[in-house]
Amino acid sequence: MNTEKNYLHKSYHVEIIPPKQDSEKLEEDLILFSSKLERVMNSGFTASITDNAMGLLAFQGHECIEELGIPIKPGQILIHLNTFHTKKDLHEILTGCLKLGITSILAVSGDGSTRLPKLSPADVEAENAASVTSVELISYIRKNFPQFRVGAAFNPYEPEKHEFEKLDRKLAAGASFVITQPIIDRNAAVDRLLREYPELPVVIEAWMSKKLYLLSDVVGYPIPEDAEYDPIATLQKLEDIYSGCGSYLSLLGFKTQYPIIEEMAKEGAV
Amino acid sequence: MKIAVCVKQVPAAGDAKINPETKRIIREGGKAVVNPFDLYAIEEAVRIKERTGGEVIALSMGPEKAKAALTEALSMGVDRAVLLSDRAFGGSDTWATSYALAKAIEKIGGVDLILCGKQAVDGDTAQVGAGIAAKLDIMQAANVWRIEEIGADTVTVKRINERGWDVVRLAYPALLTVVKDINIPRIPKLRDARAARRAEIPVWKPEDIGADPDKIGLKSSPTQVVKTAPPAARGAETLKIDGSSEEAANVFVSELIRRKLV
Repeated sequence: MNTEKNYLHKSYHVEIIPPKQDSEKLEEDLILFSSKLERVMNSGFTASITDNAMGLLAFQGHECIEELGIPIKPGQILIHLNTFHTKKDLHEILTGCLKLGITSILAVSGDGSTRLPKLSPADVEAENAASVTSVELISYIRKNFPQFRVGAAFNPYEPEKHEFEKLDRKLAAGASFVITQPIIDRNAAVDRLLREYPELPVVIEAWMSKKLYLLSDVVGYPIPEDAEYDPIATLQKLEDIYSGCGSYLSLLGFKTQYPIIEEMAKEGAV
Repeated sequence: MKIAVCVKQVPAAGDAKINPETKRIIREGGKAVVNPFDLYAIEEAVRIKERTGGEVIALSMGPEKAKAALTEALSMGVDRAVLLSDRAFGGSDTWATSYALAKAIEKIGGVDLILCGKQAVDGDTAQVGAGIAAKLDIMQAANVWRIEEIGADTVTVKRINERGWDVVRLAYPALLTVVKDINIPRIPKLRDARAARRAEIPVWKPEDIGADPDKIGLKSSPTQVVKTAPPAARGAETLKIDGSSEEAANVFVSELIRRKLV
């Protein structure tokens, strides 16, 4: 097992969403963000901080850390970065991360909105591209900020041929690890990913919300609102099936689920 | 240079409700946002200040909760903000609103440049900017997409017209309404957003700006809204195409051509 792969196995990736730009209780939200981050740091897990998730304007993870002076362990932070920024903001995020010692980035195409700008091909030295996707973003970061290890997303719900071709382009651009979209059981595309890229570190996203229907848009078909779903049991199942992979926990409940996750970690489940 | 920028809080898309009696938008309750076009006016005002120095003052009229729109303007770099809020202003149409905003700008005093979004997305009238300029009897240019030069006594701009664009030079004080091509509004930084939330936003009432009570509010608004109705739903149709990818693509392209969509 290579060092990178070993690193990804050692801890859970816990998704943390920074406060929204339109928050009416920003100071409370910042305190909550800070406490979640410190808890994840103390648990030895990796905090995976989103970038305007779902196209909803939020503050950037690195600026929250810097502004609040949150003590972090830089090696336990993964910053998401999408293509909906100005070049100036992109550089501010990357240099801001480096200033804090953060060197892990998950580069994704991301979700836009009317309020968010979009990187142009010229911004990321990709004049021949029709638009900027995660591929161009990964390439730009690796070329201009080689200090970063950059990860990419893998979507097992896309047509396989297309997704694997895109994965190859992401890897050629410099991606060195992959985080999947959420799955809830053994998945043929993920199996193929592990089979055909045995050296590639892969982190499996586990959906930790009981509201499984929220995944409808991701999987591409409607999931009934009353669908029963046990996130912890699903996580345990995924860890059994994909024991060689890391686990990314999205929408994790910090009050009830987090203590269970900590126990699982202590018991050597990961 | 002293710049005033007019900001309106509007219902978030899909959240607009109409009072069936007054036919006016209900502004209480529901999610509200800064009028999208005003973000471009704020950004441009701040950029001018960053180039030339001076001060930017954001001005809005609305209920107390409209302070949130001014807070966003402050977080984008505006220096101070003022809210016109009083029951007496309630129900003002574009004529009465222009009057009140013009009176407030007179009270601020010494304003060289006034920037507005080209229109608000709730009323869609594009009348208030022009109305303010008319009340103040100053020069104006609508639909500005580029500021060419900020001079000592004049501002030179490119504005969109029916044939393309033209260049106009306006002596100060002047009013510009801007379109979205003019810039990319910045996303506020956390530090600025926190400072903006701590800032005091004074509330001015009609008497504070010397407004004539007979020129503000619903009773003084000459606009009669006869009827309001939601826009008709856009026609949508789902076309299912069978066959291989290649066949389906051919059918799809043929269909687009047949419908004159390409």
